[in-house]
Amino acid sequence: MRVLAVAGNTFREAVRDKVLYVLLFFAIIVILGSRALGWISVGQDLKIVKDFCLASMSVFGALIAIFVGTSLLYKEIDKKTLYTIISQPMHRYEFVLGKYFGLVALLALALGSMSALSTAYIFVLGGKLNLVFFQAALLNFWKLLVVTALAVLLSALTSPILGAIIVFCCFVFGHATGVFLDLPPQFNGTFTKHFFEVIYYCVPNLDNFNLHSEAANDIPVSLAYTAWALAYGTAYSAVLLIMACLAFEGKDL
Amino acid sequence: MAAIVTRALSKTYKVIGKAAVRSLRGLDLEIAENEVFGFVGRNGAGKTTTIKLLCGLIHPSSGGASLFGEDIRLREARRLVGYMPEQPYFYEYLTPRETLTFYGRLRGLSAAQRQAQWDRVAGLLELEDIADRRIRGFSKGMRQRVGFAVALVGDPPLLILDEPMSGLDPIGRRMIREAILRLRDEGKTIFFSSHVLSDVEELCDRIGMLVEGRLVHHGRVDELPGRRMKEVEVSAEGLDGAAAATLVARSAGHRQIDQVHLFRVADLENANALAAEILAAGGRIRELQPVRESLDDFFARIQQKEAAK
Repeated sequence: MRVLAVAGNTFREAVRDKVLYVLLFFAIIVILGSRALGWISVGQDLKIVKDFCLASMSVFGALIAIFVGTSLLYKEIDKKTLYTIISQPMHRYEFVLGKYFGLVALLALALGSMSALSTAYIFVLGGKLNLVFFQAALLNFWKLLVVTALAVLLSALTSPILGAIIVFCCFVFGHATGVFLDLPPQFNGTFTKHFFEVIYYCVPNLDNFNLHSEAANDIPVSLAYTAWALAYGTAYSAVLLIMACLAFEGKDL
Repeated sequence: MAAIVTRALSKTYKVIGKAAVRSLRGLDLEIAENEVFGFVGRNGAGKTTTIKLLCGLIHPSSGGASLFGEDIRLREARRLVGYMPEQPYFYEYLTPRETLTFYGRLRGLSAAQRQAQWDRVAGLLELEDIADRRIRGFSKGMRQRVGFAVALVGDPPLLILDEPMSGLDPIGRRMIREAILRLRDEGKTIFFSSHVLSDVEELCDRIGMLVEGRLVHHGRVDELPGRRMKEVEVSAEGLDGAAAATLVARSAGHRQIDQVHLFRVADLENANALAAEILAAGGRIRELQPVRESLDDFFARIQQKEAAK
């Protein structure tokens, strides 16, 4: 009940703050961008459009998750709106979870709308969509659950700007975690090698959620893989959220 | 059962690279049910720190406290308290009706209970006219009313109000003052901090005075230890002009209302001497009224004394 109240309010705040204007930008970028890429990719228009739609969903969704997520708790502390909420008979973790799920609901609406827009656009262009496109869209959303949980954790610990920089770096490096292990042989046994190994295990492997190429080329992906990726994302998000709740629990407001 | 009990409650703020700030030092306090308790002190004396500790916003460095026997660290304790911060901030995009609905949901109230709460609180604080306007455009006074209304959601037996009348115009202050008195009559316990000592004097059964995080005085307003008798006012009548002129010269101050003379002298000894002279001059004594120093004067004197230590 209390988690739902906070989540509903967070969702309403984001909507009233016109965060969903990002959907308008998404539509404009997808139409103009795919047109431009279509001109330089003879005979590959639909493939490019599918890939471009999924990539745009990922980027725009991440922008919402990073910029709204990293200020989620910080803003409440800074504006002191938290005083009258935490003094209610509720656990602090209920507040953190409410904020998280409110933002997740917003992302679900945003990515659902983007997926619907993309589907309609691809149909208008005469294309058809297979299951793998929707698997890719679902994993895009699941990836954002992890990014949002990380953003919420940092929101409890640091300022929105620093938090946004860290989450953005994790988002970028999370798509290329392999580079942390593939260091040249001269680094074997050095501190640098161990350091990057630690980074490799700390940064979530967001490439696990990337089915853009398979969706663009209509290559089927097993449901077992999708389920594994969903479980990976759920587990990672849960750990980050527990850390966020613990960080917030001991905080003096 | 006492509404609030604190035992050696202390708070020290520690920031890396900076000296620790001891904001509250060993506060021992007991506030009875249905009491109106005023908490006074200068800015930074520890009033807001105490209130934040009691409301679970910050954690004690040592000591503890309970509300109606419930440890302040527990969620159950917060069910018993309604809190209004010094400058209540709410979600600007919500209306007062939506705001109270939100807080009602946080307290686990059903839709019918929330509606009943709204009817009660909106009537008490005259919120109906602004019920469906966004808080974004509200004046300070309107925000204070919404803040007070939020503290009343769930009908808690204890209200903790941090500077409830700060920055309000006289009408707004009167409204809050009347609401406090009405809630007291309904059986609520009210703990509030204020800089406006006349309000504290008028509303409170007891006060506590904080200086640099220490409780230096607490007790009934008219029984505060060390509160001096400032002077004595002698009221007399039946004096002729010459006798009155002689007595005026002997007193520290004088007013005349119709045929009644009001003489002010420094203490009871002088008052008795003056009364004897009035009787000898053929006058009659109407009243001898001791005038105690105001709470403001008392507060300023205690501040200076503590600062000199």
